[in-house]
Amino acid sequence: MQHACEGESYLGALTRAVRNVSRRKIRALLIIIALGFSMAIMISIPAGIMASQESYNSMISNMREETSKTTTLIEVSTSSGRGGFSGMPPGTPSGTPPFGFEREEVFINETIVEEIRTIDGVKDIVEFLETSSEETTSETMDTPRGSFTISRPLYTITGVCLNSTFIAEYSILPTNITAGRALQEGDSGVVLMSSNLTDYFEVGVDAEVEINGESFTVVGIYEPTSEGSMETRTVYMNLSDAQTTTGNTGNVSRLDVYAENDSYVEEIAEVIETYSEAYDLGLYVTTYTDRMERYQTMLENAESTLSQTQTVAFQEIVIAIAATSLIVLFTMLYTVRERTKEIGILKAIGFSNWNVMSQFMLEGIVISLMAGVVGVVIGIVGAPFISSLLLPSVNPFSTQQRGFPGQTVNFGTALSQSATATPDLLTVLLAFGVAALLGALGSLYPAWRASRTSPMEALRYE
Amino acid sequence: MSELVLKTEKLDKVYKLGGRQVRALSDVNIQVKKGDFISIMGPSGSGKTTLLNMLGCLDKPTYGKVILDNLDVTKVQEKGLFKIRKYKVGFVFQTFNLMPYLNAIENVELPMDGTKKSKDEKRKRARELLKMVGLSEREEHRPHRLSSGEQQRVAIARALVNNPTIVLADEPTGNLDSKTGHEIIRLLGKLNIDQGTTIVLVTHDSLIASRAGRMLFLNDGKLLAKEKQGTHLLKRELTCTNCGREIQPDDMFCPRCGKKL
Repeated sequence: MQHACEGESYLGALTRAVRNVSRRKIRALLIIIALGFSMAIMISIPAGIMASQESYNSMISNMREETSKTTTLIEVSTSSGRGGFSGMPPGTPSGTPPFGFEREEVFINETIVEEIRTIDGVKDIVEFLETSSEETTSETMDTPRGSFTISRPLYTITGVCLNSTFIAEYSILPTNITAGRALQEGDSGVVLMSSNLTDYFEVGVDAEVEINGESFTVVGIYEPTSEGSMETRTVYMNLSDAQTTTGNTGNVSRLDVYAENDSYVEEIAEVIETYSEAYDLGLYVTTYTDRMERYQTMLENAESTLSQTQTVAFQEIVIAIAATSLIVLFTMLYTVRERTKEIGILKAIGFSNWNVMSQFMLEGIVISLMAGVVGVVIGIVGAPFISSLLLPSVNPFSTQQRGFPGQTVNFGTALSQSATATPDLLTVLLAFGVAALLGALGSLYPAWRASRTSPMEALRYE
Repeated sequence: MSELVLKTEKLDKVYKLGGRQVRALSDVNIQVKKGDFISIMGPSGSGKTTLLNMLGCLDKPTYGKVILDNLDVTKVQEKGLFKIRKYKVGFVFQTFNLMPYLNAIENVELPMDGTKKSKDEKRKRARELLKMVGLSEREEHRPHRLSSGEQQRVAIARALVNNPTIVLADEPTGNLDSKTGHEIIRLLGKLNIDQGTTIVLVTHDSLIASRAGRMLFLNDGKLLAKEKQGTHLLKRELTCTNCGREIQPDDMFCPRCGKKL
């Protein structure tokens, strides 16, 4: 038929399309930039969603690990969060910027340990002292509602009761040691340090570090499980060393109470709570059931946030696609109108309707593909920014964790993950495909109109 | 006797303008033989361009037939007309109508787009034609770097590129100064003599029209009965009939005795 022998003509048509696009450079540039931004949105949003999803998955797995701790564990602490963040009280509206991370440290006197030990069914009590370092660090957080600078302790000093049975049975110390060794029973004057603190102290294994004015030897370095979290910057040491160096002699901040078996758990928790109320100690007691409940609620909230984010993302992508198509549509309509006479000439010298139509569609596709390149560049460079701007909740836990402060979920983890929202190859290829498709779709009607133009009318057009 | 390549039968064209009917062409019968160089002359609004558009399959008559190469093109559907325009008709316009973003050789190649010719064949053919119109040196120049006369030469080369049955020229000298205009007419005449190209030219300029072999007159959409022999430049004697002095083909007066040629 008429197209059978026209294979080679497309090369000429493509050359003409490229020349036509580059004829009006400023206009082409503006259109390509406008289209490029739409494309960038199309690329960045899925990347943001993926980062969100990853962040969500990692949180879920962290929580699952946390929750699945032995069913006989009863956590007793002095603050609502185990880590002791009480700057943001439970139930704070989710819209409030995350200002405060100041610790309001409350401790329990060690004498309570003996009281608890007398409760029926208590097997072991592991004491911890978690306090903030004196050194602080400032971090600037960019959120859709503006930029906030927060000041937080540089690291956590964790004193652990170095009992070999406890170390073996309850995994109270980090296990992924990358250099040196872990702490062991009888250690004193030594620390186990997270790898992300070695730069700050500028030390390695066997070096001396000064903590709160006292000198310690680094015996080991461990790799934190979730990078970027403030909690992961920790120095572990003997409990008594920690008490001395932080001026908390006789104090602990957390107790892990282990029951003989599950049947004792609720009873023990109840006795501790009663005790806490009677002496106004303000203790927070968390059992397996509590942890499970919180976990479920968090899971539901996280899922709902993620699904809301996905809905917003979907809407934004639809808008970006519509904007792209409309830009191509109007550009090509204008181009067709502007080049009416040219259409007349092409028809007069024997171009078929199909030839004319494909010429204009090709131009639409060329513009869109050029915009695709710009979009990919903007997308790759600006994906974290665009997704954080357009997806207010890239981090699905940013609000939930404040509502459920008993959890060890970390704001910083999700934040750092969302900041790495970079598009993958598939998204980029897909974006090019979508660009070409939108170019074709957007120019379909203008090209069809061009092809239907009467050559005689078109030749008369000035 | 030469073969008939183009014939119109009782050609009528009626336009509707603001509710009233305007008859642009009325009962036009023309016969064009292979190798003819015909000019159609008439004042503005006489229907010259309308007639040329019918002959070139750019427009359809209200009544009547246009028979091109034994094919009644008025019965061909719009979808099939592009082939006729591509292979059987070559257009030369008053305003040249070259593509500004293509250079001379690419402009000439344009009508070959979609033909079976290879890229090299197309280039060779376009070169051949540019040489024929005397623009070998201007192949790579885009229209804005060519003079009006050169642009029209490129347009003529483009019209000839697919070896059309007929070349239709709509006021081809209308945008040119008289010297360049005469050069263009001379070129068309030369093509007619050397290549046997059949040419139909419309113009309102009687001098230009007179350079064709046959002159037809159109007035108010009607072809006048009178028909004149033109002084086809290259066919006429190249000596003055009065004093016998040798003259140039485009001389209008004898340089010696001043006789109008």
